[in-house]
Amino acid sequence: MQQGGVMKRGILSWIVLGLILLLVLAPIYWMLVTALKTPREVIRPEPTLFPETLTLGNFITVFRDGIWLNFFNSVIVAAFAVGISIILAFFAAYALARHRFPLRLNSIFLMWVLAVRILPPIVVAVPLFTVFDQIGLMNTRLGLIISYQVYTLPYSIWIVFGFVRSLPIEFEEAARIDGASRGRLVMSVVAPLLRSGVVATSIFALVLAWNEFLFALVFVRSPNLLTLPVVISRYIGEYVTLWGPLMAIGLLATVPILLFSGYFYRRLTTGFTMSLK
Amino acid sequence: MEKTPTAGARLFSRDRLKQSLFFYAALAPAFLVVVFLTVYPIVNVFYDSLFSVDFIRETRDFVGLTNFVRIAGESVFQVSFWNTVVFTATASISEVALGVILALLFYGEFRGKRVSMIIIVFPMMISTMVICAIWQTMYHFEIGIFNYLLDTIGLWPIGWLINPDLALYSIVLVDLWQWTPFAFLIVQAGLNSIPKEYFESAAIDGARYSQIVRRITLPILWSQILLVLMLRTIDTFRLFDKVYALTGGGPANATRTVSHFIYYEGFRFFNLGRASAASVYVLLFVSILAVLYIRNILKERT
Repeated sequence: MQQGGVMKRGILSWIVLGLILLLVLAPIYWMLVTALKTPREVIRPEPTLFPETLTLGNFITVFRDGIWLNFFNSVIVAAFAVGISIILAFFAAYALARHRFPLRLNSIFLMWVLAVRILPPIVVAVPLFTVFDQIGLMNTRLGLIISYQVYTLPYSIWIVFGFVRSLPIEFEEAARIDGASRGRLVMSVVAPLLRSGVVATSIFALVLAWNEFLFALVFVRSPNLLTLPVVISRYIGEYVTLWGPLMAIGLLATVPILLFSGYFYRRLTTGFTMSLK
Repeated sequence: MEKTPTAGARLFSRDRLKQSLFFYAALAPAFLVVVFLTVYPIVNVFYDSLFSVDFIRETRDFVGLTNFVRIAGESVFQVSFWNTVVFTATASISEVALGVILALLFYGEFRGKRVSMIIIVFPMMISTMVICAIWQTMYHFEIGIFNYLLDTIGLWPIGWLINPDLALYSIVLVDLWQWTPFAFLIVQAGLNSIPKEYFESAAIDGARYSQIVRRITLPILWSQILLVLMLRTIDTFRLFDKVYALTGGGPANATRTVSHFIYYEGFRFFNLGRASAASVYVLLFVSILAVLYIRNILKERT
């Protein structure tokens, strides 16, 4: 025992650590090698740990099938959903933190925002389907962007609210004495102070939007409007053994995130810790 | 205080009005979006649950509580609810337990800690559907890697996703792989915020490592652990996409969850009344969670 709270780091703990990393990395490695295998090798009953013939054929296949369009949809929908959420959440959180609304609206609204996070999305999907159908939002990217607010907006409001509350009010008072209007003050004093908090929040919301499946599944039908998760689910369901292309899409969707994992890791930890409180 | 309508006071109140106008304008958009996307649908769900609604034929007949009574008596719904509870309990409890163990293992400084932590966090950055795709190939009965490995050590192949007794737990395993890192991250953040002196003085008093963990570490971390457990409960309770991709609710409803049940009623059979009634059941159940969760969070914040 070296130190009280530290487990003695013998050979055993290194082996355990190695095993954990193996468990985490093995499926990701599996995706990588499967994407690089030929269709024939993929369905062999004795799987090979390393491709016998390396091929980029799977990537060519999925690009020919127009995967870039779905990629584009995912990016656009996620980016706009998060952008809108962040802007709305920023102003709402500021108003909630700095102004006392009548009828205890502040605490009621914030409670509701918290409660909504617990709501399984399928519960709102059914009634929203009817409304979207009536106002022409079905089968549009805009419809998805709006529906994603169910996830991203409450999260963003809650987290940004936490950041605003931790901001000392003195900065704003000083600016007000100098005669700045409330709008000027929010944009030139509050917004810069909140920048890192807002970045953390948007990355967190981006992960939510990028992963969204249910609304993308029920609100969009045309193949050229589908997002990546829905396309992947179709590959899983319909073309059972087309694993090469499937893993190629998976890799395309994953690599951008893993490349920035160091950065994301820092931001995500801030985001997660904030979302708890 | 007595107010006299001087020019200054009038200016002041005009300014006050402008101020509150600003705040109302700032809150309004988010408020309206939240109401439109959550309050309205929930009211609608309660209302529709009392009707027999057929979206295709556009008929709507008031049936009172019939939907509730029928659904509660159907074995598919009962099974779906039970599956959801089993999944939620097994997945969230094991994730948090593993997260705590990992956090303890990672406590302190050692070579390669930062890199290892970034790697451990990989799974929760990968899209759920991609994860399902990977595990689907690994779980495959005939050509999946798991059964191949079992075969090489001389064991029988396992019907990971096709054995009704096992399929739900195979999905639990996928969820574990994806979300244990989340529990780990939060718990280790809490662990690092405990002053080192606590452990050191206990060690000087001759306490063994296991005693320190049981008597000091876990009690201090308890509220944090409960919070992570709560967050995982909330997330696992809505289980839909993994079931949709990996098993489609089968075999023989062994992996059907309430979310999947509502999806089928609403979007496959277009039976909005029944879907809404099932949603109301879910809402009632979830509101219990909500009360616990909000109380916990508010306690944490103040």
